[in-house]
Amino acid sequence: MIAVSKDGLVERLARSAAASAVLAALLYAAGLLYTGSGGSARDLLVKELLVNLILVLGLQVFIGNTGVLSFGHLAFAQAAAYGVALVSIPVATKARQLPDVPVGLGGVHLGPVAATIAGVAVAVVLGAVIGIAVARAGGLAATMITLAVLFVVDSSVKNWSQLTKGAGGLSGVPVLQGSGWLWLAALAALVVAHGFAESRRGRFAIATREDEVAAPALGIGLFGARYGAWLVSMVLVGLAGALRVQVIGSTNPKQYTLDVAVLLLAMLVVGGMRTVSGAVLGTVVITAGTEAFRQLGDPDRLDIDRFPDLFLGVALLAVMLLRPGGLLGDTDLQAWLRRRFRRPAGADERAAPQRSAVLSADGIGVRFGGFVALDGARVQVRPGEVVGIIGPNGAGKTTLFNVLTGLVRPTAGTVRLGERELTGARPEHVARAGVARTFQNLRLFANLPVRENVAVVALVAGQHRRGEPAVDVDALLAAAGLTGLADRPAGTLDYGNQRRLELARAAALSPEFLLLDEPTSGMSDDEGQAMVDQVRAMAAMVGAGVLVIDHDLAFITRISDHVVALAEGAIIAEGTPDAVRADPAVAAAYLGTEG
Amino acid sequence: MSTLLQNIVDGLGRGGTYALLALGISLIFGVMHLVNFAHAELITVGAYAAYGLAEADVNWWILAVAIVVSAVVASVAVERVAFRWVRTASPFTMLLPSFAIERLSHALWQVLVSPKKQTFSGPAWAFDTWSVGGIRLELMDLLTIGVTIAVLALTALVFTRTLFGIAVRGAAEDFDAARLMGVRANRVISGAFAYAGFLAGVAAVMILMRSPTAEPTLGADWLLKAVVAAVIGGLGSFSGAVIGGLALGLAEVFLRSYLPAGTPERLTDAFVFALIAVLFIVRPAGLFKVTSAERV
Repeated sequence: MIAVSKDGLVERLARSAAASAVLAALLYAAGLLYTGSGGSARDLLVKELLVNLILVLGLQVFIGNTGVLSFGHLAFAQAAAYGVALVSIPVATKARQLPDVPVGLGGVHLGPVAATIAGVAVAVVLGAVIGIAVARAGGLAATMITLAVLFVVDSSVKNWSQLTKGAGGLSGVPVLQGSGWLWLAALAALVVAHGFAESRRGRFAIATREDEVAAPALGIGLFGARYGAWLVSMVLVGLAGALRVQVIGSTNPKQYTLDVAVLLLAMLVVGGMRTVSGAVLGTVVITAGTEAFRQLGDPDRLDIDRFPDLFLGVALLAVMLLRPGGLLGDTDLQAWLRRRFRRPAGADERAAPQRSAVLSADGIGVRFGGFVALDGARVQVRPGEVVGIIGPNGAGKTTLFNVLTGLVRPTAGTVRLGERELTGARPEHVARAGVARTFQNLRLFANLPVRENVAVVALVAGQHRRGEPAVDVDALLAAAGLTGLADRPAGTLDYGNQRRLELARAAALSPEFLLLDEPTSGMSDDEGQAMVDQVRAMAAMVGAGVLVIDHDLAFITRISDHVVALAEGAIIAEGTPDAVRADPAVAAAYLGTEG
Repeated sequence: MSTLLQNIVDGLGRGGTYALLALGISLIFGVMHLVNFAHAELITVGAYAAYGLAEADVNWWILAVAIVVSAVVASVAVERVAFRWVRTASPFTMLLPSFAIERLSHALWQVLVSPKKQTFSGPAWAFDTWSVGGIRLELMDLLTIGVTIAVLALTALVFTRTLFGIAVRGAAEDFDAARLMGVRANRVISGAFAYAGFLAGVAAVMILMRSPTAEPTLGADWLLKAVVAAVIGGLGSFSGAVIGGLALGLAEVFLRSYLPAGTPERLTDAFVFALIAVLFIVRPAGLFKVTSAERV
């Protein structure tokens, strides 16, 4: 625990607050420059920018961190706006506008703070229900659910006239004077967005964005990470909706259409959706650009909107084609602070944990349609042992790994870790039980720094493997020879280093067993030989047994205590490395002769 | 009984147009994993081409050809200008240029022509009706259904019998392998965009026959329904897109018919979207799982 908790709550809050304060101060200075020379129209634009900023930060928390695109966030902002309107419009005005308002709302009149809280609560409660479906679905299905939600809420607002007065909207909401409270809200939203990115749930969400397969295989559940991000984003968009209605004094469905959703998405992605700094920059660029182009139009003509639309289209297209990661990419004030003010981790003495559980698979059968991928395969790894799996392409080696780690449910057989049955368990549960893996085709969290790839998994270990001694992230990086590259994005490493990083990342789970899928693939002979020592060193650090697939027979022979040979889904030989190499059935399977 | 039949005819007429658009969206998703939110802008392109020619008193049948040709050209051009650059990006990243193009299209028509609705004259016979056993059949409903069937039959033929069609289906089945094909992937993807443009052009002819107007936001009304139809059917599944389109058209007409009289049209839409949300919650992959056996 010690090494992980070095970067504690206080440090994380301090970084979030510092980054937020700097960004807010820059914005405030720019706002002063802009409004100093203009009239009340400019004040209003700054207010609009701040409300948009809170909305975009809400989008950033969910979309930016999880990588799941949502059009539906505006629907919850709209729900919050109507919630505020219904409880804050003075009683007499409300009686005139909404004579048939249900459930005794007609007599309610709350002050701005209580009304804002009520509005946010409406968004969060609605969002908590819908979010379950969105977080479960993920991907394109989640996007489509959010699109449908946007339209359902839009239609409901337009048609539930007793409550909303239809398409015309509600007016007479008490307008808040001044803009100090709006700046305060924006600062709070910045702190929340920064803080979420620093939080455990936030870092898990980011890992799921980077790789939907690797994250669960290392103990990070997709649902929990996405749902957490969704709920936090609901608070922010609810706040923005609640504030917008009190800035303008009225609300109507035109403020919450798909067109507006696209505008806000453009703000998010133009600056760079992965970071809060990017979201802020995008909001400023798009708001300023839209306003500048609006002034090119002739306000007396119908086509006042054409220039802003032209600008939006060109800006979005240009950024997506030339800089798909946004103007800032991963350049981020918060990340800079994290690098700059990282506490040096102490070298903790830690004894390799004592393990006793055995990982075993028995009688594993897997069929894909009519194709038999595995037929009665079995394998057993004892604590501290290294077992190698060899076999020609298509023998079912990786499928066996997928069964062991919960990615593929076997049609027959059982998987056990000690006394615990893991057959058909979800990948994140298998990982938390103590089985970590690497992937044949490299599944790193490519946009994240090398260090974070390992650290986020150490965080999983800290949460779900509490019985274990803390993982020393720096020691793992050193064992992988990556200390000097710790701040580089993982995707920019060369092939060998990426393989070594995947190994270190899996070891960070402090697993009882490490499953390595072709760790020397694509490496030179020298690198492959060095890998023997690296695998041994890291396995010893965390006290893990190893199950390793590889084509390099020299590597397998040197590293393994025991070797299993697979062909066409079944075991054809097993025993000591030399015995298996000498087995005629193995030679036949590799050379393709009839044995 | 006659209401039922009337509804079926209306629903198929509307659904056929959705099906043509959805098929194009599904086709493009199949070859490059792009959900093309700019697809319905091809209708707008066709509409302005027709409007321009109609000003010069051109015969309706030539207009129809011009609508289809302009949609094909625009579809291929947009792929070259925008989507080719982001071909290897994630589906999320590719969505954004499609939104940008949709937005640009709206703005460009406003700048180049006018933000106002432009009306031109459609075929005089479009609103002719026949009464058969108490059912009033509009000629254009029948024509829409007939043309849709013909085009779908042609599509089935193209995708099972021609080298191009088989290459596209191969790409839709194994996208990564298609990428590895290198130069050939360019041709296949260009071809898929051309064919999607053709389908959108035919849909545009059907739409403009009913209401011969051109306005910048013409495509927007059709886009969502088309995307929804494609997604209901399971993106990448060609038969799914057709069934999704027809199901959506029928669902709309029947809901409108059976919800209490006086229910606003918007509420019907809300109902359709609520059903769609439930659908995705229950079956995130759409109604039809994408498997090669189910493809046309």
